[in-house]
Amino acid sequence: MDLYVAAFGFGLVGMSVIAIAAVGFTMQFGITNMINLAYGEVMISSAYVAYYVNKAGITIWVGMIAGALFGAVFSFLLNRFVYAPFQRKGTSHIGMVIVSLAVSLMIANLLLPIVGYYSVSYQDTTGGLLRAGGIVLTTNQIAIIGVAVVLMLLIHGLLRYTRLGKAMRATAANPTLARNCGIPTQRVIDSVWLITGALCGLAGVVAAMDSDSFAISNGAGFLITALAAAVLGGAGQPYGAMIGAVIIGMITELSAAAWAPEYKEVVAFGILVLVMVLRPQGLLSKRGALAAAG
Amino acid sequence: MSRVKPSPFVSAVGAILVLAACGGSTPTGGGLGTGDLLVGVIAPFTGADAGLGPAYYAACLAAAPSINANGGIGGRNVKCEQFDTRGEPADAVPAANKMIASNSNLMAVVGCTSDEAATVAPIIDRAHIPMFCMTGQSEFNKTPLKYFHRLVPADVYDAFAMVGSALFGPGHDPYKKAALVFGDDIGSQAFVAPATNAFTHLGGTIAINQPIHLGASSYRTEVAAMLKAKPDVILTEALGSAGTYLKEVKTQNGGKMIPFIGSSATIDPTWFQQVRDAIGIDDLLKYYGGVDLGYTFSGPAYSEFLANLNAAASTFKDAPKYKQRGSTLHLYDGIIMTALAMVATNSADAKVYNSKILDIANGTSGATVVNTYKDGVAALKAGKSIRFVGAGGENNFDKYNNSQSGYILVGYDKDGNEVTVGHLTPDQTSKLIAAGG
Repeated sequence: MDLYVAAFGFGLVGMSVIAIAAVGFTMQFGITNMINLAYGEVMISSAYVAYYVNKAGITIWVGMIAGALFGAVFSFLLNRFVYAPFQRKGTSHIGMVIVSLAVSLMIANLLLPIVGYYSVSYQDTTGGLLRAGGIVLTTNQIAIIGVAVVLMLLIHGLLRYTRLGKAMRATAANPTLARNCGIPTQRVIDSVWLITGALCGLAGVVAAMDSDSFAISNGAGFLITALAAAVLGGAGQPYGAMIGAVIIGMITELSAAAWAPEYKEVVAFGILVLVMVLRPQGLLSKRGALAAAG
Repeated sequence: MSRVKPSPFVSAVGAILVLAACGGSTPTGGGLGTGDLLVGVIAPFTGADAGLGPAYYAACLAAAPSINANGGIGGRNVKCEQFDTRGEPADAVPAANKMIASNSNLMAVVGCTSDEAATVAPIIDRAHIPMFCMTGQSEFNKTPLKYFHRLVPADVYDAFAMVGSALFGPGHDPYKKAALVFGDDIGSQAFVAPATNAFTHLGGTIAINQPIHLGASSYRTEVAAMLKAKPDVILTEALGSAGTYLKEVKTQNGGKMIPFIGSSATIDPTWFQQVRDAIGIDDLLKYYGGVDLGYTFSGPAYSEFLANLNAAASTFKDAPKYKQRGSTLHLYDGIIMTALAMVATNSADAKVYNSKILDIANGTSGATVVNTYKDGVAALKAGKSIRFVGAGGENNFDKYNNSQSGYILVGYDKDGNEVTVGHLTPDQTSKLIAAGG
């Protein structure tokens, strides 16, 4: 029983990491209509930015901010100079997916000679160990959970209570109508890439901290997990992505405790497939924050 | 204006020059042909086992200048090319087919780890190309593949040596309760059964057998389950994920490591750097034990290997890191032996020189021992038969082209160099083999 309690605690960490990544990914898609398969590579690039900051003797928490800033600027530039020109030319959805896949491969291959193929670790990112009722977490893992909770609340506040958030929702629902109503949709989309890019960068650093040791090859894994949570929750739905993160994060850890650990991801993704069969549109489709304003 | 008509001689010379400029490979079966020869390095260069391929590529980069600087193979230079299998059998097959189809000048193939050997070795064998594979899988212990060569013992011996380190190693009482933490790849899982048999038959208990999914983002629950089983020692090979797993062990165990014993694949600069960064150099030096084949890292063959490896940094900057990597030494030897076999048979036809590789490695009665390609060629030209003892030491191929040698118990120094800490006696080795079955 102790192991299940411990696994539950670890699940809280796992779902926090996934939630930050998945919410950024799904917002990007929901508002800009862009399935950005380079998301995982931007995450790992940001993780490396934080690594070099940390290696210079600066705390990883500052590195995390640097990673978030890098993710924001990189994503913004990626959209401005790569994705947007293709979209303006009327490239189809599947064409844009291929473009983002190409960008993903380019980032990975450009990064490889810079950072090398071997794994690296942040310094002093463990923190003290805390035990409570069978749950065993480090102070830094608790901080990661805290960061995720604060970010989710901020996203909720942004989407529900700010002019920018309402403009985002309007742009997501019908960009043409939003533009005709006087909403500066281009500025809104730029803001989306900056905000979701920051989430992407921050998620990369948090995921790398959580892994203890990371390498360039982790980018693909980051993308798959974020994508799975986003799809499970309903593509384009931030609240759905949060729920998807909870399900995948928890099931991954609990199945490792209950069953053979080498199959923990098989179980999590098996459940994803099952949900997709029963509810292809995802758990919260048409009911989340980015659904058409009602 | 009159046109100058070239004479037949000039035309013939021109034609020859054009053909020569094309640089095509023209093995005749009765000679060494012309044009560059290629050593294919087929191994994982990406994916979870991406640390393996570079070690083998470094071997080729060190071997090629040994040959090329000494007249090549009948004047033909040796080059190296990577073929990435991603560590996946499904990706390895097209990589092998492409390698063979695109290169008619392949003289040998090196690499083929346990990740892909089962799928690529038959393909390479059908193409009649000698291969030196870094796989320990037992299915190759009595392989019918004539072009397959293995310069390392089967995995079962690696597993026995790890158990030997746990039970008979220096500096600690015999460990009685072991956790088996091996990656879920084919190669790593090959250790589990022999290690379990040997350890339990010699009085130990397996606290937990935990296959872990390589490349997972964390191993929190796995480590919690492992710690709950309270092992004295961890026997492990989880390449690519060792840092993540072992850091979690240290974290959940209140900052204290549990002794861990790694396979010979953990004698690797990438593994060292990853684990050092994750758990710290002090804990790595204190709690790690490894096993390796008994290398001397000295002698004329090793000196030439080391010089060439250092020089290869201009092509591949990490090459010098592999100066004590067993597989790098062995594959270096494999390439040199193949080149000598070609010279000895005066043939670029692998059907002719393949069988000669065993003669060069094991030696025949009255053979002259040589340690370098240069000395080997000189001895062959003097009409002598030779035995090549290379950077990795003596080879003793059996009739299945498997070469066996003994193990040493090792650790690291703070710079990542291998340090010998003990040996398994013949009696201990016999006990382990008998117990392991």
